[in-house]
Amino acid sequence: MERLFKLKPLEQIVVQFILLVYAAIVVFPIGIAILNSLKPNLGEVYKAPFALPSVWSWDNYAEAWFGANFQTYFLNSAIISLSCVVLVTLCASTTAFVIVRMPFKGSTFLFGCFMLGVVIPIRLAMAPLFVVVKSLRLLDSLLGVILVQSASMMPVAVFILTAFLRAVPAELEDAAKMDGALPFEIYWRVVVPLIRPALATVALLTFVQSWNEYFLPLIFLQSESNFPITLGMTQFRLRFDVQWHLMFAGILIMLVPTIIAFLLASRQFIQGLTQGGLKE
Amino acid sequence: MAKGNYKQKANLQRIALLAPGVLLYGVFNFLPLLGLLVLCLVDWPGIGPMKFVGLDNFTQLFGNAFYRDQLVRALGQNLIFFVIIIAAMLLLGTFFALLLSFGTKGRNVYRSLFFLPYPLAGAAVAFLLELIVRTRGPLNVLLVQGLHLVDKPIGFLGDPMLALPTLAAFYSWHRMSFAIILILSAIVAVRIQLIEAAMLDGASRWQTLKAVVFPVLMPAFILIIVIVMVDVFNNADYTLLLMGPEGSPGRATDIMGTFLFRSAFGGSATSVNVNFGMSAAIGLVTAIVILPAAIFLALRNLRRD
Repeated sequence: MERLFKLKPLEQIVVQFILLVYAAIVVFPIGIAILNSLKPNLGEVYKAPFALPSVWSWDNYAEAWFGANFQTYFLNSAIISLSCVVLVTLCASTTAFVIVRMPFKGSTFLFGCFMLGVVIPIRLAMAPLFVVVKSLRLLDSLLGVILVQSASMMPVAVFILTAFLRAVPAELEDAAKMDGALPFEIYWRVVVPLIRPALATVALLTFVQSWNEYFLPLIFLQSESNFPITLGMTQFRLRFDVQWHLMFAGILIMLVPTIIAFLLASRQFIQGLTQGGLKE
Repeated sequence: MAKGNYKQKANLQRIALLAPGVLLYGVFNFLPLLGLLVLCLVDWPGIGPMKFVGLDNFTQLFGNAFYRDQLVRALGQNLIFFVIIIAAMLLLGTFFALLLSFGTKGRNVYRSLFFLPYPLAGAAVAFLLELIVRTRGPLNVLLVQGLHLVDKPIGFLGDPMLALPTLAAFYSWHRMSFAIILILSAIVAVRIQLIEAAMLDGASRWQTLKAVVFPVLMPAFILIIVIVMVDVFNNADYTLLLMGPEGSPGRATDIMGTFLFRSAFGGSATSVNVNFGMSAAIGLVTAIVILPAAIFLALRNLRRD
């Protein structure tokens, strides 16, 4: 049965060649960025973008880091994305728990309301959303952005968690209920350990998406001291646009956390992608 | 007595468990979505009193040349943008997924490598690729001096004809692995059960692929089409980041997301036509454009449960 997938030596060479070409296309921009971020000046980037730097200028990273307020941006991004992870995993799991295990009149309707959020992106409602945030006096605050970003990720999280919870039997919970355990206890002692894999997927997707989110902070934040790294990068670009070597260094600084997250959890990423069947 | 007490407590706790999620989602997501239906009926620049104008925003949008031309252009360009991306994702995605499904040496390494751009931030990808394709940038150096493919540098993002396809290429570079992974998992799923039978009949590799593998890829294709469609018709991050809310050069890269943004928050400093009602109207029109895809996605999700 493996005959179809077995390659003859010549075929193997052709396939390897094609895959190497695409791998080169994928790696090309990142490789160029690493190479040129270490060059001492712009001239070398212009003249010989593929050559090794004449002097390895590791200082570029320090210059980019301190030249822009990268520490502020990083801190804000970390606060936003970690808060989103906590809020989304907590709120989505309790919601999914009640919808699946303690259904009530209208719980199907409630689930439908969450599904509306899956299919109609919140960006289309940016004007009414702005009105809501403004009337709650949450404009230009990290709290506002955290609430908006978490809410935008709730539908997908609820969807993944309800699907997961429906697939696991309720025996343990029923046993706990017989012993007189109340919903809080059942949720915390039985359900959370049970759905841990799905929670990990949700947490990961939420972290990456909130770390990478550009649009929502763009609308709701004004002062630079509140900027996450995505907005900070646009500020950085305004100042260092012509100094390409520093631009490359800044971009790489920005990429590091997501690349690390990916290296640590590439399998969960791919699982989340195919499980949820939903982008991000 | 103990039983009634338990029931009461359980009910209270159920409400307490439900409240945070419902409040969070309700206030900051569901309410704004419903708010579209109300806000599209007013003329309001974001401050001061709202003016109720009925369906005037829609008559303006479809009747007034100022808005209509922008709408037609943004919608048309959005469609071109979508078609380029989806063609790249389905053709190349299937191609690479097939190559990875063979007994290819190092296929796990390739798969991880191809997946590398996916988790990167859109903002970083946009700025990185923009630097690469500048007229004096590495790609042009490669094309002109290295490979001698062209005589003079290409202005990828400056040329009105090339800017939109270039942005589509950026998107495809970033998201290609999404298509590869979904198609690959569909291929792997049918691998064992079906292919065996087909191969026993003495079919060649191509015949087997055509008869057995391609038909089962349809659900994966539809899923990719729907998800990418919903995404590109509301998300204009690349354009906003690189071309600004006016979709330069000369609105050649303007799509629905930028049009929507501009109508609510203004394009340049000189813009005067800021109207939250109009933005809500455009949002609704866009929602209707993507609704068939969205409903499909919803049905698929519900059926799965």
